[in-house]
Amino acid sequence: MQLIGQILHLLITPALWQTTLESGVLLLLPALGGVISERSGVVNIAMEGMMLTGAFAAVAVAEVTGNPWISTLVAIAAGGLMAVIHAVVSIRFRADQIISGVAINIFAFGITAFLNSKITNFQGFNPVKPSAQLPYLHIPILDKIPFFGPIFFDQNIIVYVGLFLLVAVQFMLFRTRLGLRIRAVGEHPQAADTAGINVYSIRYGSVIASGLLSGLAGAFLAIGITNVFNDGMTDGRGYIALAAMIFGKWTPIGSFVACLIFGLGTSIVANNSTLNVSRDLLSMLPYILTLVVLAGLVGKSIPPAADGQPYTPGSE
Amino acid sequence: MKRSRLQFVVIGALLLLLVPALAACGSGGNSSSGPKVKVGLVTDTGGLNDKGFNHLAYVGLQNAMHDFSNVVGSVKESKSDADYIPNLQGFASQGYNLVIAVGFLMAQAVATVAKQYPNVHFAIIDSTPSDANGNSLTLPNVEPLLFHEQEAGALVGVIAGMLEKGGTTKLKKNTISAVGGVSIPPVDKYIAGYKWAAQMEDPGVNVLVGYSQDFSDPTKCKAVANSQIGLGSDIVFQVAGGCGLGALQAADTAGVYSIGVDTDQKADAQNVIASAVKRVEVATYLAIKDVVNGHFQGANEPAFTLQNGGVGFAPGNITLSSDITAEVTKVENAIKAGTLTPPTQRSW
Repeated sequence: MQLIGQILHLLITPALWQTTLESGVLLLLPALGGVISERSGVVNIAMEGMMLTGAFAAVAVAEVTGNPWISTLVAIAAGGLMAVIHAVVSIRFRADQIISGVAINIFAFGITAFLNSKITNFQGFNPVKPSAQLPYLHIPILDKIPFFGPIFFDQNIIVYVGLFLLVAVQFMLFRTRLGLRIRAVGEHPQAADTAGINVYSIRYGSVIASGLLSGLAGAFLAIGITNVFNDGMTDGRGYIALAAMIFGKWTPIGSFVACLIFGLGTSIVANNSTLNVSRDLLSMLPYILTLVVLAGLVGKSIPPAADGQPYTPGSE
Repeated sequence: MKRSRLQFVVIGALLLLLVPALAACGSGGNSSSGPKVKVGLVTDTGGLNDKGFNHLAYVGLQNAMHDFSNVVGSVKESKSDADYIPNLQGFASQGYNLVIAVGFLMAQAVATVAKQYPNVHFAIIDSTPSDANGNSLTLPNVEPLLFHEQEAGALVGVIAGMLEKGGTTKLKKNTISAVGGVSIPPVDKYIAGYKWAAQMEDPGVNVLVGYSQDFSDPTKCKAVANSQIGLGSDIVFQVAGGCGLGALQAADTAGVYSIGVDTDQKADAQNVIASAVKRVEVATYLAIKDVVNGHFQGANEPAFTLQNGGVGFAPGNITLSSDITAEVTKVENAIKAGTLTPPTQRSW
């Protein structure tokens, strides 16, 4: 009972919801990438690796240039570059998309750890200076609104970028011609091809978009929320984003809800200094919460019909 | 279709082989004059770039290779718990003379492998070897390199307690905190000493202890530290390796003080007031030296303490008043003399 009281008390703390939104958007970015890629018919489990590559690139470039914007652009490009590999292997060479994704994740872990060791001679990068970090925006007056002010108007700039992208991707997928084409290619590429849609360019574009978004998430993680690069610091977030995408039924809004629920779980766990419960049990909370809420309420998720199937022109 | 898939599997397999090869690139050695002493270092999942004890163990190995021309060193980084036994076995089966396991998390793996290779010397940092139930074992071919972390924790705890008692800290809630990685002895001993000494200086001080359940993801330690600062913590002691850099950052952002761990961390954040230091590089170096000189201690290896310089503290970026530094010196001398004994067990 005491625990329930403590958690209820936590739920009225703005700081809890501030962290929830922040970690929710961190997961949202790769989840949006996953939605676009899989809607076009290419399974992408490599968001983890793309994000890690982005995180590394962001810290490495921030160390040299001291400029957060250049670092973020390079991180986005680095994520995109990993996505190009996935795209070429799974679209051009029609390889198994799961294997390609796993290979990219392992490769990304190895290459970033290796470069980290080589460049810094096993010292690790120094923490990025505050001037080279993505800034937190304290929007005047609005951030003084009780409770909601700190949650919505005292956030990292990437949180706003992420929320904008959420709306933009939702609109693009379901309200524009491009979105219709992406979905057509993911559902029935033969029909789309017959209708004059270039299946390959749509898929290349979609997979690369997922890499760009994952790279941005990496930059947000490494030079926004924190200021360091540690080997393997993405810590499975790419996979959580993948799960969020599935729970969200391959829609941006649905994925975001799943990301927020997971973010809420991790934020509650972070308050374990005062919660009287086994920490090992507590650290399961985000996963259990996500499973119970989503598996219990959402029902069956059906992927795009051609998800994971390479397209060969003329085949049936 | 079929052929390209096969091509791909081959490429994928090659990539998989490449990754450990890349990761193991840290190995190397000097040309030797005497009989070669081959030393293998197995890191835990934190990896060599953790700015913490894995890194320090590697520094110790490098120093030994520099000083003893016949020492040949090699490193295996563990990417998951499942890698510990294969990595240790890999060195032991290849005729290595000394295999060093970095970290408490490998206590059971070391015991398993040391029994399989009774003629190979092993050393393990932060732990004795242990059985599957966590009971510590005494094995003649395993040298445990143990530290009195509670003594280093006590020195920084004195600083924290004195600052709180002085009432000059920011939040005025008479609260300090610690962010641990996982609740294991080397982490909890630091915190036990910290809490004990802070309350010795300022009996009313409230000490919050939280865990990130992680040693490499800084966002988790940042979140735990932020929650503690939200509850009024003026001083955050990070005891979570690479993860804890996030706690130092949180303290900087909030304008409260922080305390580094294992190594001098004043370069990692502005508001670091001190670091509790554990000289893992010295312990590693001495273990290698023992094997080179044929004086392997096995289970008789003495612990590293304040008294023998194995643990200590490093000053930070904020100048402390002379009565605080005098009190630190007083407590340090009392611990060295044995008149004060910091606790090693959890009391939270």
